Amino acid sequence: MEQLVLTLVFLTVLFFLLGSGVWVGLSLLGVALTGMLLFTTRPAGDAMATTIWAASSSWTLTALPLFIWMGEILFRTRLSEDLFKGLSPWLGRLPGRLLHVNVAGCALFAAISGSSAATVATVGKMSIPELRRREYPESMIIGTLAGAGTLGLLIPPSIILIVYGVTVNESIAGLFMAGVFPGIMLALLFMGYIIVRALLDPASMPPKEAASNLLQKLRASVSLMPVVALIVGVLGSIYAGVATATEAAVLGVVGALLLSFLQGSLTWKSFTASLMGATRTSSMIALILGGAAFLSLAMGFTGLPRNLASWIGALELSPLALIVALTVFYIILGCFLDGISAVVLTMAVVEPMVRQAGFDMLWFGIFLVIVVEMAQITPPVGFNLFVLQGMTDHEMPYIAKAALPMFGIMVLAVILVVAFPEIATWLPAQMRTGP
Amino acid sequence: MQGGMWGGLRKALDRLYLAGGILAGLFLVAIAVLVLLSIVSRLLGIFVPGLSEYAGYAMAASSFFALAYTFGRGGHIRVNLVLTKFSGTRRRLAELWCLAAGSFLAGYLAWYSVKMVRVSHMLGDISEGSDAIHLWIPQLSMAAGAVLLAVALVDRLISVAAGAPLAAEQSSE
Repeated sequence: MEQLVLTLVFLTVLFFLLGSGVWVGLSLLGVALTGMLLFTTRPAGDAMATTIWAASSSWTLTALPLFIWMGEILFRTRLSEDLFKGLSPWLGRLPGRLLHVNVAGCALFAAISGSSAATVATVGKMSIPELRRREYPESMIIGTLAGAGTLGLLIPPSIILIVYGVTVNESIAGLFMAGVFPGIMLALLFMGYIIVRALLDPASMPPKEAASNLLQKLRASVSLMPVVALIVGVLGSIYAGVATATEAAVLGVVGALLLSFLQGSLTWKSFTASLMGATRTSSMIALILGGAAFLSLAMGFTGLPRNLASWIGALELSPLALIVALTVFYIILGCFLDGISAVVLTMAVVEPMVRQAGFDMLWFGIFLVIVVEMAQITPPVGFNLFVLQGMTDHEMPYIAKAALPMFGIMVLAVILVVAFPEIATWLPAQMRTGP
Repeated sequence: MQGGMWGGLRKALDRLYLAGGILAGLFLVAIAVLVLLSIVSRLLGIFVPGLSEYAGYAMAASSFFALAYTFGRGGHIRVNLVLTKFSGTRRRLAELWCLAAGSFLAGYLAWYSVKMVRVSHMLGDISEGSDAIHLWIPQLSMAAGAVLLAVALVDRLISVAAGAPLAAEQSSE
């Protein structure tokens, strides 16, 4: 009984600190501290300092700022123009025409950036004005962009997969590989949706543009070659096992600087802006991770994860029922928290539960990212929606409505990944047994 | 507010946070260089001890030195669902609560980070990795960064209490 009261106090502090607007990283510290004071007599402060130090000074974590920096560098190049010009000649024939540039552009940029907001911003910078000029339906322009932006976190490199990997101690290289096919599948589903919409209502789409011959198409795509080379270099080196995620990340940074230099967009100003932008983002995430590391230590003392895991175990839920429950849970949580906070906050409790249920942790990471990303295109807290609001001057309800069909498609993607786990687990298995 | 001494203090503090940010940026470059060195030395078949530990220390230094600077730029995320519903005095009170709670927690972190460094120094703790250096040296970055964050929060708490305008909250990604 006493345990129950303490648990309630603990949860109240959690909701109050986070909900009242105390910065997420510091809130996690506060919650963990409360847990330590309530449930154990161990000196909380000393345990906090050593835990946070250990969590913050790890080699694995260095992949995080490096991948963020790589994305920041590329964000400041002419990449958004190149993506539009290089992709549009190839996609004009498909029903739905240039709307596919949104999806393909996001998928391509996702393979060099680990953030969905950056993906939406980079692709949308060029595609929104260009598609509007050609009079594509506005809700489709915005909806497809909001949805396809989520690929940024699913297709490696992915900041949230690094965070997940560090939190549950799983191979980041393995997680990256697990994200490849689900990412491609989701991109194809989005494109399929555009095709269906275009076929159902051909009148809503603008007329076909003058077709170009193969040579012209190839010429238009030449500018994309460096990006493709960068993707192949970074992901290929991880897949082939010649580089760890961190090493691939530094190759990515060097490649991005080179690409930016060759394009002529590398200036002292753009260099420092990318560096400081990356420093801020990774510092923010590091504080959250530090707080989360202390929280999972404190959680161990509260006995909450153990109790919950055994309680769930006693319910004898089928794995499917557990997955459905977790999906609903994360979508609700994602209405209030950003993806990274949602993952680190819950992992201390969810990890033992999921391991006990016998799920593959790489697979679960991919499932988690898709579900958390679904929450990022639903109001009230949806970062892709915020970005689009800033870029298009539409009201939030309009953008949320435009993005709603994409939510449905992501539900379909979750169902497919649950029904066919091999979509996620096949590639990492190949990597491990490979030469 | 514009008095000579206070104006000078304001400028000095802002410069201090920025200096922390720049130092953090340099440590981010250091991570990249250290990882590159480890790749090159591996390709050449030379073992350089401690490279991965140093990269880890640079990671910690980059994260902690930038805390205050990131705070100043609104870079730390928060749930502002409730906060944005308020306006006027209520908004200011809510903001003061967040800053007070934040100051306490950052101060707590700073206090025990400094204590950790002192204990490491006193016991002469040595890293278990191949770098074998005294742990208090890299740990200094955590103590300094945490102290800087606590100062930045208290600074902001006093400013807001004294009636400084509340910045329009911009959530970063």
